[in-house]
Amino acid sequence: MSQSTKPKGKKMSLNKRQNLTGWAFLTPATIMIAVMSFLPMIQAFILSLQKGKGTDLTFTGLGNYIRMFQDSVFKQSIINTFVYLIIQVPIMLILALILASMLNNKNLRGKGLFRTAIFLPCATSLVSYAIIFRSLFAVDGFVNTILIKLGILNTGYNFLGHATSAKIIIIIALVWRWTGYNMVFYLSGLQNIEYSVYEAAKIDGANPMQTFFKITVPLLKPTILLTAIMSTNGTLQLFDESVNLTAGGPVNSTITMSHYIYNVSFKYVPNFGYAAAMSFLIFILVAVLAFIQMKVGDKRD
Amino acid sequence: MTKTKRANALMYIFLTIVSIISVFPIYWMAISATNKSADVLSGTLLPGTHLIDNIKNLLAAQNVGAAMVNSFKYAIILTICSLVICSLAGYGFEIYHDRGKDAVMSILLLAMMVPFVATMIPLFRMFSSAKLLNSTLGFILPTISTPFLIMMFRQSARSFPHDIIEAARIDGLNEIQIFFRMFIPTMRSTYAAAMTITFMNAWNNYLWPKVIMLDDSSFTMPMLVANLTQGYVTDYGMLMVAVLLCTLPTVIIFFLLQKSFAEGITGAVK
Amino acid sequence: MKKKFLSALLCVAMAATTVLAGCGDSNNGGSSNGGSDGGSSASGDENTLTVWCWDPAFNIYAMEEAAKLYQKDHPEVTVNVVETPWDDVQTKLTTAATSGNYDTLPDIFLMQDNAFQKNVISYPDAFTDLTDSKIDFSQFAEGKTAYSVVDGKNYGVPFDNGAVIACYRTDILEQAGYTVDDFTDITWDEYIEKGKDILAKTGKPLLSCVSGESDVITMMLQSTGASLFDDEGNPDMVDNEALKKVMETYQELIQTGVMVEVNDWDQYVGTLTNSTVAGTINGCWIMGSIQTAEDQSGNWAITNMPKMEGVDGATNYSNNGGSSWAITSNCKNIELAEDFMASTFAGSVEFYETILPKSGALATYLPAGDSEAYAEPSEFFGGDAVFAKITDFAGKVPSNNTGVYYYEARDAVGTAITNIVNGADIDSELRTAQDTVEFAMQQ
Repeated sequence: MSQSTKPKGKKMSLNKRQNLTGWAFLTPATIMIAVMSFLPMIQAFILSLQKGKGTDLTFTGLGNYIRMFQDSVFKQSIINTFVYLIIQVPIMLILALILASMLNNKNLRGKGLFRTAIFLPCATSLVSYAIIFRSLFAVDGFVNTILIKLGILNTGYNFLGHATSAKIIIIIALVWRWTGYNMVFYLSGLQNIEYSVYEAAKIDGANPMQTFFKITVPLLKPTILLTAIMSTNGTLQLFDESVNLTAGGPVNSTITMSHYIYNVSFKYVPNFGYAAAMSFLIFILVAVLAFIQMKVGDKRD
Repeated sequence: MTKTKRANALMYIFLTIVSIISVFPIYWMAISATNKSADVLSGTLLPGTHLIDNIKNLLAAQNVGAAMVNSFKYAIILTICSLVICSLAGYGFEIYHDRGKDAVMSILLLAMMVPFVATMIPLFRMFSSAKLLNSTLGFILPTISTPFLIMMFRQSARSFPHDIIEAARIDGLNEIQIFFRMFIPTMRSTYAAAMTITFMNAWNNYLWPKVIMLDDSSFTMPMLVANLTQGYVTDYGMLMVAVLLCTLPTVIIFFLLQKSFAEGITGAVK
Repeated sequence: MKKKFLSALLCVAMAATTVLAGCGDSNNGGSSNGGSDGGSSASGDENTLTVWCWDPAFNIYAMEEAAKLYQKDHPEVTVNVVETPWDDVQTKLTTAATSGNYDTLPDIFLMQDNAFQKNVISYPDAFTDLTDSKIDFSQFAEGKTAYSVVDGKNYGVPFDNGAVIACYRTDILEQAGYTVDDFTDITWDEYIEKGKDILAKTGKPLLSCVSGESDVITMMLQSTGASLFDDEGNPDMVDNEALKKVMETYQELIQTGVMVEVNDWDQYVGTLTNSTVAGTINGCWIMGSIQTAEDQSGNWAITNMPKMEGVDGATNYSNNGGSSWAITSNCKNIELAEDFMASTFAGSVEFYETILPKSGALATYLPAGDSEAYAEPSEFFGGDAVFAKITDFAGKVPSNNTGVYYYEARDAVGTAITNIVNGADIDSELRTAQDTVEFAMQQ
């Protein structure tokens, strides 16, 4: 199993020409990112040092950054976002891994249908999925009807009307929507592992659990790292679910940082300096988390 | 043996349940597309008879054809360009990696983490002065190169056997030929996955086109769906037809490409 | 396999070339968006007016009819309507103004009344002052024009009406022994008494609303002539007796079960069309949603809303929603835009008569209310001349001082009322709400 995963030979020192080719390969992408992300980022940073409404701006130094920590709604939104991150990301990634390794089984019938079915949620338009989730969890909705029939509840529970249950619904919705998406990466990552490795393991008498933890997970490590960084980033910038499912309510108990930033920019009296400052906090948070994840997971060994 | 059979049966049951939960909202959406607005709100799960009416209403109210053409145009062009640029970079970062390139990669990753709301205004200013509003180029440029795709290709290049590169060099292929003739065919499953994801993201992109598309003729499908939800009265049956139309392309592309995920690396190299 | 991929690559290369070629095209301004030069949304053409608005059945239809009417005398003028949802209008306006690219704005756009003050004060350079134009603002209800007046200057041409109506299901009222007359010119106390009786007899609440939204609160508050802000634009919540009374009434409505809360707008409309409730109170535009339940035709009736007892200046009239037209600073031919407005939306009874039957768009242009079209009975609403009735209501609405920070205040009040319903103390919640708004204001 080592020949496919240990690509780098130490004797092969890259000569200058190859080194230059390497730079040439990554130049177009790098220039585009520099112009489309870093340049605007610098401008946004300058904006974050200014205050005022609309276009009437004055420099305020770090005023906006200080303001953030006095803003109770923003503080609440940080807590909410981290609750989603800590609970939802591990559940989703583990579920996606399990599904991917099941669907990687050559002898499984109906793979294509299962795969497409599980992928479907992330292709679903947000508009319809928000409407259906809200109606499923309404007081007289499908979920309550089932729970009452099963005798678990006496009367319908207003899931979206209570802080904790509303958060849980958002987590369920996120897992529902993005598990299939992450599964795609695992499925594609699994194809780069030779199937014979699994067959060998089977002959050696390894049970599915052992195969999963001893073979699948270690070999998928680069992909797992990728999805972990991506999901962390996606969750810290979470916007759609908060806006469409719960509108941030009840009483801001589900509002996310990005939702609040959007409100400050477009719903309320526009305060772009402050919005930019809050965006930079998100940026720093994601960067730190990604850095930790890279340190833990990105080793060429 | 019975143990394996039981395990197998459990697996099928598990997968079936997960699939049903995943598909249910789509089923509901399709059913809703055949019902009257008021029936959609009462949560009916039975097919109705209003599909034709809903379609007619939608076609009368919105220029669906133009939005479809636009969305396909933007998404396909973006997907192709983005795949070429990012896979080239991902390959370059991994195969020729050294300290300098690893450092550049880490810096690029930072770009993924900036919330779009923050960079939107400066980007708009840039595109407006470059006269790129209402244009295909305006749609694709901000997301043509994403750290995420680069990283995805970089991670998968890690499992690309280096002896193939060595063998190719001995055969006299130059570096760019190795990339196109060896790497791309071998990494078919990564490309298929990347293509699905990129197409989907491009197709569903909403915030950016909503800012730069100022003209009816450059509207996209998600913008059309948004149009339908903003009036005083929402026709939910008609809305669901539009939503269905907006969902199908991604699903079809996934269904067609998912087979490529299933074929292993060895098959491609031979 | 290899061949397949090589051919795929070829396609990539070809497509890339096409893109590059395409880019050249759009740079040269030869793009498909005829007339506009790549970026600008307002047309360079002197005789074309570009308009942003959002509802094909309603304001887009109205704008197109206005264009037809105007073209009778001015055949050289064309009006180009770009369907743009309100959220997008706001986003595009904010983006354009913040980045200083006013030239991406259209000539005219429609704006929610609630957002008028905020946008004019934040982006004064984006608007054209219409005070001294030929538009006669005295022909509109004063409460309506007030939304678009900033520092005594008119920035908007009032369009649709958000006058509050109370709608009742006459068949359900009948089961409990009531008629719609029993709900006309009443107070909230009477409303709650009768509502309890109806709930006991039919099992149906009288009213539903979206939890966490402040619509019901602001409707009640405006009906007393009070606002969330004082004349200087500072939040006025803590010692606002009217607001306190409103909060108490809201709380009582929920506790007695006369009003039920649902979680979102779709469910709210559902409670009306699925006969979950016996009535509703909202801006008159809610009629459109009610009428989608065709099987309930003839079972609905309209009257005025209950009045807040014990508050000075309380009335049975209020407003929720509605919008007005703004002319941007990017408009190349302001004279034309003003003349267009003055001869249609602000000057033609005929125009309002034309658009009424198909769109139900109710004018705030007072002379239109006396026209015959407005006296037409509505079959759905039991043969009542609802349009004339609503126009009459609209003239009696006390004006609302939205202030600049209206959206902040509405959200803060929405938070407060959710907590109050769950048992929190009214005074301390109002204190928190006011603090929230004051925090937003110190930037």
